[in-house]
Amino acid sequence: MGHRDIPVLETERLVLRGPEPEDYPDFKATFSSYRSRFMGGPLNKYEAWMLYAAEIGHWEIRGFGMWMIHDKATDETYGMAGGWQPAGWPEREIAWIIWPDKAGKGYALEATHEARRFFYTEGGWDSAVSYIDPKNLDSIRLAERLGATKDHGAATIDGNDAVYRHPTPEQLKNSQIADGIALEISHYCDPLFKPKGFAID
Amino acid sequence: MPATVPHIHTARLTLRPIAPRDWEPFCACAMSDRFQYITGKQDLGGAWRLFAAELGHWQIKGFGMWTVTETGDDDTALGIVGPWFPADWPETEIGWIMFEGGEGKGYAFEAAEAARAHVFNTLGWETAVSYIDPENARSIALAERLGAIRDDAAARPHPDDLVYRHPKPEAV
Repeated sequence: MGHRDIPVLETERLVLRGPEPEDYPDFKATFSSYRSRFMGGPLNKYEAWMLYAAEIGHWEIRGFGMWMIHDKATDETYGMAGGWQPAGWPEREIAWIIWPDKAGKGYALEATHEARRFFYTEGGWDSAVSYIDPKNLDSIRLAERLGATKDHGAATIDGNDAVYRHPTPEQLKNSQIADGIALEISHYCDPLFKPKGFAID
Repeated sequence: MPATVPHIHTARLTLRPIAPRDWEPFCACAMSDRFQYITGKQDLGGAWRLFAAELGHWQIKGFGMWTVTETGDDDTALGIVGPWFPADWPETEIGWIMFEGGEGKGYAFEAAEAARAHVFNTLGWETAVSYIDPENARSIALAERLGAIRDDAAARPHPDDLVYRHPKPEAV
């Protein structure tokens, strides 16, 4: 699958498109920063480009991968979300990263929820996990808001990550968790209901 | 990647863009000592990221490394050879990595010469270099057979690299 064949997904506020060459500077800025410490970073500029190229190559090798998250109105990028399974990954993962200055607006929740829906309904996935550094509390909270629970029995990547297992398509269907996600996203979209408290992805 | 990428044919070889099916020989090479002068020996995850990046390079740049095959045996990858120009790279590079079994028959020379003609004639490059680890004697020998000469004044990605500059397009 070439990058021109990557499906485009739309949500209330976002458009998810395959990573494009012109989005690289935003990716590089985040992966050169402390923000990427739970995803193998910070990276030097060569490593950052190689990882970006690998994000694109992933689509061609696996037929799925990470989307670039764009604002629907302005096209500005906010981060990436999607599927990830390089060699050595025990299972297909749902992953996300939000640029540091775009956190706290629910973009990761909205994008990841849509990516998961796509994999379940169009991609034929019947389960998914997220591998998360146990110190990455923001990501653990997001996994939990997505209805994922810690799976102590599942294989990890290298023993240093916690496995969060997402609800299956059947568990999500007409579930309280699905309603909760939809409600939370709608609250982010409507400033009247702007969530209080500290910033979360 | 452009809609159709023509393959390159030489006397004995066919060069085609690197593809997902080349993963196994690439991985075997990247996890072996053969990579000691390239990026250093890789673990599985590192090998896969490099491989995915090789494919991504084609998508981003519209060109990239070619898989070298014997004409008529499209599935057996002998190595990868061709243009390499990631962001922040000092100059347009021609690189080569031969897998086990692709060596000793002059294939790297034949493929690199054809890839060089391609970057000059089709991509319109006006110059090309190869960055080589100073201890990589076989790669240095290949660069010299290709007519490249050391350019110690040129910028390089890593301070320990040697820069070999290829002859100008009109000279090859």
